[in-house]
Amino acid sequence: MFSQLKARFGSSLSIAIIAIIAIWLVGMVILPQLIMVDYSFRPNLLPKEIGGIKDTYSLSNYETLFSNDIHLSIFVKTIWSSVLVAALTLVVSYPLAFYLAKVATPGQAALCILLLIIPFWINEILRTFSWYIILAYKGPLNALLLSLGVIDRPVRFLSGDSGVMVGMVYAYILFMIFPIYNAIESLDTNQVKAARNLGAGWIRTHYRIIIPHAKPGIATGCIMTFMLAAGSYAVPALLGSPGSRWFTQIIYNWFFEGGDWNQGAAYAFLLLLICIGFIALVMRIFKVGLGDIAR
Amino acid sequence: MDSSVHLDNVVMNFGDFTAVQKTDLKIESGEFFSFLGPSGCGKTTILNMISGFLDPSEGVVRIGGESMVGVPANKRPTSMIFQNLALFPLMSVAENIEFGLEVRGISKVERKKASDRLLELVALDGSGNKKISELSGGQKQRIAIARALAVEPQVLLLDEPLSALDLKLRQRMRTELKDIQRKTGITFIYITHDQGEALTMSDRVAVMSAGKLQQVADPITLYREPETEFVASFVGENNAIAGTIENIQGNMVTLECGINGKLTGRGVGQLSKGQTANLFIRPENIQLGKKGDMVFNATIQEVNFEGSCLTLNAFISSGLSVAVQIATEEYSSLFIPKASIQLSFMSQDAVVIAGEEHV
Repeated sequence: MFSQLKARFGSSLSIAIIAIIAIWLVGMVILPQLIMVDYSFRPNLLPKEIGGIKDTYSLSNYETLFSNDIHLSIFVKTIWSSVLVAALTLVVSYPLAFYLAKVATPGQAALCILLLIIPFWINEILRTFSWYIILAYKGPLNALLLSLGVIDRPVRFLSGDSGVMVGMVYAYILFMIFPIYNAIESLDTNQVKAARNLGAGWIRTHYRIIIPHAKPGIATGCIMTFMLAAGSYAVPALLGSPGSRWFTQIIYNWFFEGGDWNQGAAYAFLLLLICIGFIALVMRIFKVGLGDIAR
Repeated sequence: MDSSVHLDNVVMNFGDFTAVQKTDLKIESGEFFSFLGPSGCGKTTILNMISGFLDPSEGVVRIGGESMVGVPANKRPTSMIFQNLALFPLMSVAENIEFGLEVRGISKVERKKASDRLLELVALDGSGNKKISELSGGQKQRIAIARALAVEPQVLLLDEPLSALDLKLRQRMRTELKDIQRKTGITFIYITHDQGEALTMSDRVAVMSAGKLQQVADPITLYREPETEFVASFVGENNAIAGTIENIQGNMVTLECGINGKLTGRGVGQLSKGQTANLFIRPENIQLGKKGDMVFNATIQEVNFEGSCLTLNAFISSGLSVAVQIATEEYSSLFIPKASIQLSFMSQDAVVIAGEEHV
């Protein structure tokens, strides 16, 4: 990299460029992370005790999670719900991505993509609040269902996890649609025609031809949605009830309400580890490599 | 089994644009039938209507005498070979061939038998486990044929399947296709812009231009007795000399061609005195010297050696350039640019077709 930069900008400027990148990467990304790793292995002490005899490295912060049943169940639920969010987003996004890539005329596709993107010009908190209003006990969705006679008394959407799930599917839908859309768009339409011509119905055509082709896009979308869902704070904070806390909220509490950064750091790393493990698993199942995802 | 295809007064419109004008055509059971025409003439649209990817705006497509109205593409007894072949790259060769059978719920054992048999037919035995990407162009071609035949179609549709192959391979595949058609006895409908392909393989050829069928005939008739100016100039090489009809005697028509003199040929279609018309004479029907009954003088423009034959481009009186094909043995060192020669043709070999249409 250096020789290429040198050929282009001369040595002094290249050194400056690399130095800036290095400072940014080390000082603002790697060091803070390492400090958090360091924190996570040390006990939470009063300032005067730091560096004293009690300040020793141990795994006790990590063990806390496994001895606290409530935290552990929230942890497991967060992972499981994030899987569900990814699955649900996939179910919603795939037909839309297919429509955009293969069915719609260029004009329709452009309009549809615009309509999908415009809401995302609004702040995430505000968008989540709008779902809070829609899903409220006396909100428009209940009013609509009541007037249609689908239900005879309002539903409490916002207690339990369903409100959080709906909010997340909505918040992350673009991260699912676009990778799948890109993947399906690159499929030669003659492949679909050939499958039809050989007698395949629509379900089989999707199952045997389109989905296998779109697999890297589907894997990318699922990984992104899962990561965003597992790490989300705003959606569960706004749309969740006290009974449906997200693991990120526990981490937040350790940092800013419990004042125990060490404990919070340990929790954050556990979440990160599980997420990485999950991604590796998904990539193994879908047989996709890192190169496919970076595309 | 009746595997005829009947285009019963079929029309295809895309908005204001008419891709296929009213066409009534019956392709017989077991026939090798080609649609020949330049790109954009509507031949692929016809194929799409037969396969069910498009529904005709008017008229009915019948296969084996049965109306295909409301029958979706995946329920028709047709099978298509695509221009880019459209093999499934994520499946093995055998899986590709067996796909149509898998769809029909045929057991694995039976599928395997069928794919082995088809691989043998296309002379690729034992390649079942290969990936599509491991095959050469000609092998892919044959797998596409095997895949299309696996579903035992009544009609095989071929959309310029040889256009991506090199010349030698293309010539070999022509023979093989014809061979496979003879062995299987199913109807082949072949789309091409290459007249060589259409003429060598087909029982009958339909020449199309601008969404209209120009002429439907067997290759020899098409070549010898073109009915329209388009067919005369599109199929094979042809020289056109314009003139006005001066005299009609039986089927022989004499044209007054101004400075080029009076030329006679066989008249085709409705002709009347005073009408403008073109006389078409093929390069191989023009001879050196006075052997023919129509004689004219010319000046050589250039001489092209093509192996078994020579093509002379020569200016006739009006400055019009005609191509003349002669056997290599007839070559003489006198054939140099600007040399004067005498040319002639038999009036029986020339065709006079009326029309304003410019060639």
